[in-house]
Amino acid sequence: MSDALALLALPFAASAVFVLMHAYLGVHVLRRRIVFADLALAQLSALGASVAFANGYAATSAAGFGYALLFTAIGAALLTLTRTLARYVSQEAFVGIVYVVATAATILVVDRAPQGAEHVKKILIGSILTVEPADVAKFAALYAVIGLLHWIARRPLLALSIESSPAGRTRAAVWICDFAFYLSFAIVVTSSVTTAGVLLVFSLLIMPAVIGSIFSDQLPVVLLIAWSAGIAACAVGLTASYALDLPTGAAMVTAQAGCLLLAGLAKVLLFVGIGERRRNLRIAIDALATAVLLSLLLSSAWLMIVPAGDQPILALVESATGIGPTRFLGAGQRDAYESAARDAVRFQGEVDRLDALEKAARYQGTPLSDDEVRRIASYQKTFNEMTRGERFVQEILRGKAQTRARWIIGVPGMLVALTGLLLLTRRHWKGYLDSRPPSVE
Amino acid sequence: MRAGLLGLVIGAAAQLAAPLVFLLPAPASAAVNVVATTTDLASLVREVGGNLVSVESIVPAGVDPEAFEPRPGDLSRLRHADLLMRVGLGYDYWLDALVRQIGDKRLMPGGEANVDASAGIPLLEIRGQSVVSEGGHAHGVANPHYWLDPDNAVTVTASIADALVRIAPAQREQILANRAQFLSRLATARARWSETLAPFAGTKLIAYHNSWPYFARRFRLDVVAFIEAKAGVSPSPAHLAQVISAGGKANVRAIVHEPYEPDDASRLVARKLSVPMARLAITVGSIEGTNDYLALFDYNVATLAKALGARSPLAQ
Repeated sequence: MSDALALLALPFAASAVFVLMHAYLGVHVLRRRIVFADLALAQLSALGASVAFANGYAATSAAGFGYALLFTAIGAALLTLTRTLARYVSQEAFVGIVYVVATAATILVVDRAPQGAEHVKKILIGSILTVEPADVAKFAALYAVIGLLHWIARRPLLALSIESSPAGRTRAAVWICDFAFYLSFAIVVTSSVTTAGVLLVFSLLIMPAVIGSIFSDQLPVVLLIAWSAGIAACAVGLTASYALDLPTGAAMVTAQAGCLLLAGLAKVLLFVGIGERRRNLRIAIDALATAVLLSLLLSSAWLMIVPAGDQPILALVESATGIGPTRFLGAGQRDAYESAARDAVRFQGEVDRLDALEKAARYQGTPLSDDEVRRIASYQKTFNEMTRGERFVQEILRGKAQTRARWIIGVPGMLVALTGLLLLTRRHWKGYLDSRPPSVE
Repeated sequence: MRAGLLGLVIGAAAQLAAPLVFLLPAPASAAVNVVATTTDLASLVREVGGNLVSVESIVPAGVDPEAFEPRPGDLSRLRHADLLMRVGLGYDYWLDALVRQIGDKRLMPGGEANVDASAGIPLLEIRGQSVVSEGGHAHGVANPHYWLDPDNAVTVTASIADALVRIAPAQREQILANRAQFLSRLATARARWSETLAPFAGTKLIAYHNSWPYFARRFRLDVVAFIEAKAGVSPSPAHLAQVISAGGKANVRAIVHEPYEPDDASRLVARKLSVPMARLAITVGSIEGTNDYLALFDYNVATLAKALGARSPLAQ
């Protein structure tokens, strides 16, 4: 456990700092209705970092930051300009174009650079797990300054976020305010993308802000909810990534989405009037029941049509209940299945044992001669083939078992699913008839 | 399906580019055109072929050959090849789609101009017969990094000499002399490398990717863990914690890292264990000063010895 704490403390601190800044900016983005603008800016920042990378600078160096900021600032200027064009075409169209072009350009720029593919991937998923203490301090200081500036200019900024041409302000003032907003946004995104990756930065910007906005429209309340939810989701994501052995950035993004889903459910089930709550609960239960029954129906049909094919739901039931496919085999075949499973493990064990033997001889005792290594390799090849043979036997027998289970499981499964669906539909049909105004006779 | 589509696109591009080929300078007609998949094989071909051959490699130095995607230009390069040298063992699997696209029987697997350099090598870490992803490494038949054992160069240069003599029988004496001369330089250098690394026999290391079994066997090193749990996937926190704890228990002395791998995880492990990080090259030319096969080992041996000798953290 202490291993986990030592490893996760810094990424958690970094993600908390990110949430504080990004969720606040996300609220602005939501109110401006330009959700994809931040994705576009994040991608432009990634393009800048890639240009720096192709020129031989590290993404975290001053030059790397400079390039990324330059590209993001150009993006900020473009977004400011498109506000005037929004009369003719939706601003979202421009934002989408900026995003796609920036992504394509990133791939072109790093194409021939060593580590280029690795770099593109890293820009997407980030490396928050390996963030260094100095970086976290740097982020905190930078965001404190930007947060302070936003606090000072909060009135005009908020006004602009709510309406695009507020009364009593000149066009130049609107432009300057807009550009200042996008620029501060650009600096924040530029700093975080190289560490957290485009995906995580985007989710930290939007998801906590959406959660906050579901429950309130008062800025302080929205922010408080967004910050707590965002930080909690980061903690859950990091813990899950450790406990379930998952890539960190992707796990954190999924955790944010899970938090959003829970918040949505809580909103419709808990934070509404008693009558509506009951109605929503019924809808939720019906939806869940329909989903379960439909997958049972499809899975039963699939088992009857292609019994030997992949049966994901059946496999899930098998692994959950511990009931293997041997249940539907005769005694002889069951023995064959079980001995194939045992032998596969035994042969694989032999391969591993030879591996360990060869590996130990690399650095201790008398080194193995080339011929001894060749002999080990040839044994391993044989054992590998035998393992594959046993696995093949298992596959064939599993297919046979499923063919036999085809009607035994498929027919009752389908009947249960159909009955359930019928009952659900009937209840809704009756409800629909009752709610119809009585016809005039 | 995807490979098919890719092949189609490349094929179409090659069709379009075909009329332009005559614009390229024609290769000197006397030289044997050799295309090697990696710079390492290209370097060995240069040693054996000398001025009888003109050698090109497909994967640029410093690009991960296991993550390489061929370009239309590689097709025209292959079209002019008299001889194709490949690493084999599933390492340069993308070559098969390319030669199928060209349709020249000589260049296809089993063809007279298609030489698999892994023939006759004592292979390590055998993994079955097909390209499978097991134990975290998408390696095919066996661990493919066999050129990192200098003694295996004896076998590889034999395959090269064989193939060249078949194509240019008149130059047999020259080819054999070139090889003998290279092998004598290799033997001298090999003695020097073994001497430099002898004090570090049995030393425990952590590597980013499982590229070093042949090197470790030859120089008696023990790679106890790999930072990358699955090829091309960044390590999860649980795996990193495991690597750090295993490294601490085994008294690991350095982290071995390849230049094209992301280095933040390696840096983190080095920091936690307070050991230096050694940036080693697995291919010729991927780091400055590794311009041919012998220089590759000169560089790797010197860098590793320096990292193990001086225990200052994060020494590159």
